[in-house]
Amino acid sequence: MTAAPLLDVRNLKKSYSIGRSGLFSKRSLKVLHDVSFSVAPGEVLGLVGESGSGKSTIGRAILRLIDSQSDVMRFDGQDLNTISPVRMRSLRKEMQIIFQDPYASLDPRKTIRAVLSEALDAHDLHKGAARQPRLIELIKLVGLDPSFLDRRPHEFSGGQRQRIGIARALAVEPSFIVCDEAVSALDVSIQAQVLNLLADLRAKTGVSLLFISHDLSVVRYISNRVMVLYLGRVMEVGPADKVHFSPKHPYTAALVSAEPSLRRESRRIRLTGDIPSPLALPSGCIFRSRCPYAQPACAETVPPLQTVGDQHQSACLRTDIL
Amino acid sequence: MLAFISRRMAAAAAMLLVIGTIIFSLLIIIPGDPAELLLSTGGGSASPEAIANLRSNMGLDQPVLVQYVSFLYNTARLDFGTSIVDNGSISSVIALRLPRTLEIIVAGTILALLLAIPAGTAAGLRAGGKFDIATSAINALLTSVPGFVLGTLFIYFFAQVLGWLPAGGYVALATNPAQHLQMLILPSLTVGLHLATIVFRMTRASVLEMRGHDWVRTAVAKGLRRKNVVRRHILYNALGPIITVVGLQLGILLGSTVLVEFVYNWPGLSGLLVSAVEQRDYPTVRAVILTVAAIFIGINLVIDILSSLLDPRIRLQ
Amino acid sequence: MMSVRSFPKRMIVPSLLLAALIIIPFVAPLITAEDPVKIAVRYRLAAPDLAHWLGRDEFGRDRLARVLYGGQVSLTVAFAATTIACIIGTFFGLIGAYFRGPSEFVTSRLSDIVLCFPPILLALLVVTLFGPGAGTLVAVLSVLYFPTFARITFSEALRVTSLDFVEASRALGTPSHRIVLGTILPNIAGPLSVQYSLTAAAAITIESGLSFLGLGVVPPAPSWGQMIRGARQFMNQDPLGIMIPCAALVLTIYAINFFCDRLRDTLDPKGASSSSMDEVSKPLALADAPAIRDPNVVAVISNLRLETARFGTPAAVVEDVSLTLRANQCTALVGESGSGKSLSSLALMGLLPGAIRQASGTLQLRRKSGEVVDLGFLDARTLEDIRGNDIAMIFQEPMTSLNPIHKISDQMIEAILAHRPMSKADARAHAIQLLKRVGMNDAEQRIDSYPDQMSGGMRQRVMIGMALTCEPRLLIADEPTTALDVTIQAEIIELLQSLRQDQGSGLSLLFISHNLGVVADIADRVAVMYSGQIVEEGPADQILRDPHHPYTRALIESMPSSHEELHSTGGDRLPAISGTPPLPSARPSGCTFRDRCPIALPACAEIRPALYPSADGERAVRCLRAPEAPAGLMNHQTEAA
Repeated sequence: MTAAPLLDVRNLKKSYSIGRSGLFSKRSLKVLHDVSFSVAPGEVLGLVGESGSGKSTIGRAILRLIDSQSDVMRFDGQDLNTISPVRMRSLRKEMQIIFQDPYASLDPRKTIRAVLSEALDAHDLHKGAARQPRLIELIKLVGLDPSFLDRRPHEFSGGQRQRIGIARALAVEPSFIVCDEAVSALDVSIQAQVLNLLADLRAKTGVSLLFISHDLSVVRYISNRVMVLYLGRVMEVGPADKVHFSPKHPYTAALVSAEPSLRRESRRIRLTGDIPSPLALPSGCIFRSRCPYAQPACAETVPPLQTVGDQHQSACLRTDIL
Repeated sequence: MLAFISRRMAAAAAMLLVIGTIIFSLLIIIPGDPAELLLSTGGGSASPEAIANLRSNMGLDQPVLVQYVSFLYNTARLDFGTSIVDNGSISSVIALRLPRTLEIIVAGTILALLLAIPAGTAAGLRAGGKFDIATSAINALLTSVPGFVLGTLFIYFFAQVLGWLPAGGYVALATNPAQHLQMLILPSLTVGLHLATIVFRMTRASVLEMRGHDWVRTAVAKGLRRKNVVRRHILYNALGPIITVVGLQLGILLGSTVLVEFVYNWPGLSGLLVSAVEQRDYPTVRAVILTVAAIFIGINLVIDILSSLLDPRIRLQ
Repeated sequence: MMSVRSFPKRMIVPSLLLAALIIIPFVAPLITAEDPVKIAVRYRLAAPDLAHWLGRDEFGRDRLARVLYGGQVSLTVAFAATTIACIIGTFFGLIGAYFRGPSEFVTSRLSDIVLCFPPILLALLVVTLFGPGAGTLVAVLSVLYFPTFARITFSEALRVTSLDFVEASRALGTPSHRIVLGTILPNIAGPLSVQYSLTAAAAITIESGLSFLGLGVVPPAPSWGQMIRGARQFMNQDPLGIMIPCAALVLTIYAINFFCDRLRDTLDPKGASSSSMDEVSKPLALADAPAIRDPNVVAVISNLRLETARFGTPAAVVEDVSLTLRANQCTALVGESGSGKSLSSLALMGLLPGAIRQASGTLQLRRKSGEVVDLGFLDARTLEDIRGNDIAMIFQEPMTSLNPIHKISDQMIEAILAHRPMSKADARAHAIQLLKRVGMNDAEQRIDSYPDQMSGGMRQRVMIGMALTCEPRLLIADEPTTALDVTIQAEIIELLQSLRQDQGSGLSLLFISHNLGVVADIADRVAVMYSGQIVEEGPADQILRDPHHPYTRALIESMPSSHEELHSTGGDRLPAISGTPPLPSARPSGCTFRDRCPIALPACAEIRPALYPSADGERAVRCLRAPEAPAGLMNHQTEAA
């Protein structure tokens, strides 16, 4: 891919202060440590990790829904770190989000018409007579019936709500969408429908996706490249099939092997112990406390991301193992 | 645990300081000369000598900062100064009357808890049942009766019509214990019933909420006896929210006590307060209110500590 | 959720009552021509007559006029003060919640301080300074109550602001003021209006209380509190004098509270329609279950039918479910949400929610003593003996399944002591052993921690340890790993597998899951449920390798992990089935799956398929087009069609 990246993020950091008494001891909880990545136009980047990995935080930080620090955060050539609030508001037309919980992501008091119109109103799109055709076009795009426009969210099933959430994100014709566990709450037969819908839309509109999920198979199926996070650090990043079928980082390997599968032949890599508390992270490699291959050296240095193949990088000192 | 208690005590002390400051500054920020304002009675203004007298008496002729510091210093020593009506020591009057007010509140609170917690638990466990419908209806009616109305009606029925109990008054416990207790019944019943409506409501809601939690299902699945499930996994969990709300509602309880004491001629703090307000004896009013606020904060401090004992999550956070 | 357009029925009576009580005082001149302040000493305490329906007071003033005009004053003061307090408070609360920062601090601290003052005392303080009067009252009551509004607005708005749909509005670029007014405010209007009614009632109480003390509304203007004050001295001769204003006051406050209660129920239906904890749903029909002969069979569910017990016609949520659970075997019950898999297992525990009733069928269990009992017909006491002893259960949410305010040790010891008489020290030792068995390191120390000090995986281990307390014959695991991370899930599955292997007493495991991958790891037999019925049942490897029911096939095909060669960016699509499972009340005729089924025939709409067993009796399928289905059925129907 030679084209300039649509989104470029360097050394993204995020910490929360958890002041105790509020006056004296203020501790901070780092949830993201120097995460760097880029997304090309039309690309799907998958973000995988367990709870506490910071994957949802990344999505919200890019959309400027929460504060964060970074050396570089450029979207479509614009510097998001220095952008004015007014410019940012109009830039929101280009970047959208789809949420996990189809029940919390729609205002129970608004009709679907109001939900979709809010998106168009915010950017003065399709006003007046052009509004109704656009709403019908949108609702059909996500496979729903135009008669649904005047109903309220409680009349819909989880899968239908998720489609409405997708229509809302698509209403402003963004070039980039963060899908935050967008199919995790759905039953498997509905999940397949929504995944197909997202894939179709991407093919049709060329939108880029940041696809956040804890489900490796889903991410592998939908993404071009996959980035694996553990406790706020990037463990491995590379082409989806490479990361999934020949992982170079012990954590990725463990994740893949732990995934329940109908094919029984997979041999499980056992991890020991719990995910450490973000308040007491291990020195050196953050994964070493659970890593079956850890050596004394792993406690000394934080392993940098090293290239291990075409577009494939891994943050592990023991490149000899996998 | 110790750190938790000391943190809470520091917060309570800070709150007292803020309240003292607000009450103090009320006199400063009101437009006009406070002495003049306090002495004016319905249009007629007081003589210049009386005003000057009051000003020096209350220390109003000193710089504000000096007034403030000496106010805080004296209050901390529990010295509330003298009444502008009869020049008596306010502290000693409060010391005399406060125990009488506390007596009603304590008796009323015990009554309320004994009545409302069992009833609220039973209603919450069988929400929608006959007992729940009946008690909730009675409760809704009682909630709508202000304390002084309830007191007035009690006097009419129990003293005038039935003649069972005295209509009001006070006799010291030492003088005549039986009569003292007899006179205590109606005031504490009035205050207690009022508090009971709040405790009942809270207990019912809290039991209803706790009942639906997953851990209750776990307890049932373990094969615990029903009474143990209710006691250990519903009621024990509900207790924390109940006492927290009771603590917050004590403010309203303390307020309604003022009216109840007035209705029954019970010579507690409220008689002092009402006559002080009528006579616009600001130092006395200020002292009574500070006392009541301090009691309120003290009770809530105790409740904070109690609920942290009941719920480890408050301690551990 | 209440629809905005339809006015809820439950609100009609309280709204009319409240409206009447508010309007009547203000149309006083239409009701009586009397002057409420005109004194006529000659007629003092006169009894009611035709001209003066309620008699006259101690100054001979007309009591009807005084009650009506007194209401005007009380209501005006109360509603004016409440409205002002509501507007100011809501404003501060919204700003504090949406923009956070210093305004948040001011909002929450200010209300903390004001809440320290008993309201009536603060009112007295101000009356001391400014003297009594209606204006003073309005001012002081609004100051008193606005922090409460600010606090409620603040916390409610904070809750709403953190919801995804507000975040979505921000992500869309909707301007802040439009989000606050158009999205947040409507969503907190419910709690605010409840608080408004509560405050109005409290304000009336305080106004009348102050007037009762003689410190509120200035005489001779009428007010209810003052009327009670005046009539008190004459209550012996003239009880009507106190009864009338008391009744007016109580009725008004009651009407407001009544309105407020109903409003709360309407906005939050959770509390209103809750069932009793003791509601035991008894089976409707008695059936003679065949005796269990095989000693290896631990439990048999036969022809179980569960119905909704309330609201109109009962709908079957579980229908014709039969299952045999054997010792040393893991049976998996698989299905999507709403398929009835969890309800079937809760029925075995006697833990069905109050709204669900066992309509028919039997639930037989062989107890450890060898006695066979029907779980549907046991008294509460015997059920308590069986739960935790013969059948144990672990649940989906380890974070909420343990009581957060008791130590792990106490929760385990009470489970042990419920079934085994022993000393507390012995029970504790036993509990530590159990924790070690489920793989908890330093169990001696960790047993004394609280659930909140443990991770989800650890809590699930505690739940499993607790379930093993009495070496049950049947262990039900309801989605035990769904809430856990994938690496932790693998550990818990491994633990359950090892328990099955080393349990000498022959544990039967009923494993409920929506995840076929997990099921493949652990189950010997699989029963797939769809829309309340078992649609396919048999040995796990046969079912998962070669599903005969189109729904089972669709479930497996829908999983991305079944298609490692497919890639969306290469233009591949997942083989998905369309549609959604039907609601229990709206199942199609014939086969419940037919409207989503890729191979449905016209006959599927007419015949309700039974569970057809295979020739060797190992597996069974509920599908007309499966190889197991009797051949004649289909042909006959197609011809008829």
